Amino acid sequence: MTFLLIITLNFMIPRLMPGDPFTFLSAEEEGQVFISYSQEQIDKYKAYYGLDKPLPVQYGHYLVNLCRGDIGYSIYYNVSVLEMIGKRLLWTVGIVLGAILISTVAGTMMGGGSAWYRDSLLDKLLYFLMITISEIPAFLVGILLLFILAGQFGWFPLFGGMSSFAQYDTSLERVKDILHHAFLPVLTLSLTRVGGFYLLSRNSMLEVLAKDYMRTARAKGLARVRIIFRHALKNALLPVITRVFLSLGAMFGGAVLVENVFSYPGLGRLMREAVMLRDYVLIQGIFLFVAVLVLSMNLLADTVYKKLDPRVNYYDG
Amino acid sequence: MMDKKMLNSNLPMINTGSEHGQSKFAGLHLLVRAVKKFSPIGKAALVVAAIIVMMGIFAEHLSLFSNNLPSGYALEAPGKSHWLGTDDLGIDLWAQICYGARVSLMVGWGTALLAGVGGSLIGVVSGYAGGTVDKVIMRLTDLIIVLPELPMMIVLGAFFGPSLKNVILVLALFSWTEPARIVRSKILSIKQEHYVRAAKSYGAGVWHLIRVHFLPSLLPLVLVSMIRLMGRAIVAEAGLAFLGLGDPLSKSWGLILNHAINFKGIYFTEFWKWWVVSPITAISLMVVSIAFIGRELEKLVNSKM
Repeated sequence: MTFLLIITLNFMIPRLMPGDPFTFLSAEEEGQVFISYSQEQIDKYKAYYGLDKPLPVQYGHYLVNLCRGDIGYSIYYNVSVLEMIGKRLLWTVGIVLGAILISTVAGTMMGGGSAWYRDSLLDKLLYFLMITISEIPAFLVGILLLFILAGQFGWFPLFGGMSSFAQYDTSLERVKDILHHAFLPVLTLSLTRVGGFYLLSRNSMLEVLAKDYMRTARAKGLARVRIIFRHALKNALLPVITRVFLSLGAMFGGAVLVENVFSYPGLGRLMREAVMLRDYVLIQGIFLFVAVLVLSMNLLADTVYKKLDPRVNYYDG
Repeated sequence: MMDKKMLNSNLPMINTGSEHGQSKFAGLHLLVRAVKKFSPIGKAALVVAAIIVMMGIFAEHLSLFSNNLPSGYALEAPGKSHWLGTDDLGIDLWAQICYGARVSLMVGWGTALLAGVGGSLIGVVSGYAGGTVDKVIMRLTDLIIVLPELPMMIVLGAFFGPSLKNVILVLALFSWTEPARIVRSKILSIKQEHYVRAAKSYGAGVWHLIRVHFLPSLLPLVLVSMIRLMGRAIVAEAGLAFLGLGDPLSKSWGLILNHAINFKGIYFTEFWKWWVVSPITAISLMVVSIAFIGRELEKLVNSKM
């Protein structure tokens, strides 16, 4: 149901947009050689892509093709959309996963520590810092990092996913180059996410620490490390884990901006290019892909949560 | 008898009709009291936000130069006449920041107001009517919440055409779900209260119920939610403008950034120190202060409930 609505939305929106892929080409930037199409060519291409048929027919075709796993060819690049997404996807997934990993681990550790030493100076300072950081939008942090660390000090490359035209002697060098390029985008994304994880794990830890079994554990004389890790953290992590899956969706959204800051060759950058070029098929493909990805992540979050916490099922009846 | 007793015990929270004239006054009074309860950080945030609001309102008087005509050499460093320097066309940056504040505030307020009022109305309908209407509306909010916001906004923004009004509309389209849900769940719980049932049994109409019984307890919740929405809208507008998908005519903070970052070779120059840093500082200050104000208000509202 939700999927169908998204597909329909996805089909309609690009078609309602003003402008079309043909008029655009003669309208932008001077100094470039551009190709303008004659009316004949336009008609031919419109027929070729099925854009001349009435909307319901186009919609029918769209659905049928979708079921076959075919989301069409990009109008501008003339390459299969799936292939283009595939090429860019790994970059985005890479930085998103990296950022999730870093922000979760760092956030939980700081949150746990903050809760353990509640109301100490450290706790208050961290709390203030984390709230502030989590409120500043990702792309602003990204721009600042880019200018200071990459522009001013030259520690990191200014753009791209790997050095262009580089020859690598070993695959290790290649990996190093890619990591070097990914560092700033990942750092940016994690910085803006870490606050959320911090607050969540701090709250959840505080709740757990107040439970009776914590007092029991302490009364038994268990070692502190054992109490923290086995009794407290294990229970406090539950909401954090669901949040990881849920924030994957938001991360993909945030990645769109961050990728554009760093000119990182991921899906987000492709999406902006597609909108700028009014490449319907490409926009549709990317949007559909991201939407489905986010939806499945939310579903996964639900399932994982139910597996980890059987009580949820119980209450649902 | 029983019901009447319950009714009385619930009364202090509610303004009855006859006190209506005073309630506006009381609202202002409450606001002042609320501000007094702010933590030092909250107060600081309030001051920062107030300064930015002033900058937006009195943009003409605060800036010596025009915000869209050159008034000096290109790329001048911050100095006596141009406080924040100039951009590549020699336009004063301080003026641009002041006018940008106006754009940001307009987008923030516009979205918050539209989404807050619209969302609350939808929430009231959903919670009060129940049944199929409620189900359909809740499904819709489910759908909108799940949609990846930014990609969707990029697509929609391009579709509506990039005028400021449309940016506000698109943002509101994505933000009404939060107040709607909050209002709905509140209505659901108030609906069961004895005083509402009593009022209904006396023959109170829907509008009377909303005005007298629902509104007082809904208002603080909606206001807090609106402040949150405002912050989010400002960020989203800045993001869209930064991508070059905002209103090209409104000189918003995001657009200054977009302009600056597309300046060739800016990474290797000193210009970014004023050209890029000032809009970033402005957006960050605005958003963070709004967030802190929202947090403080939320704490107050929650403690009262």
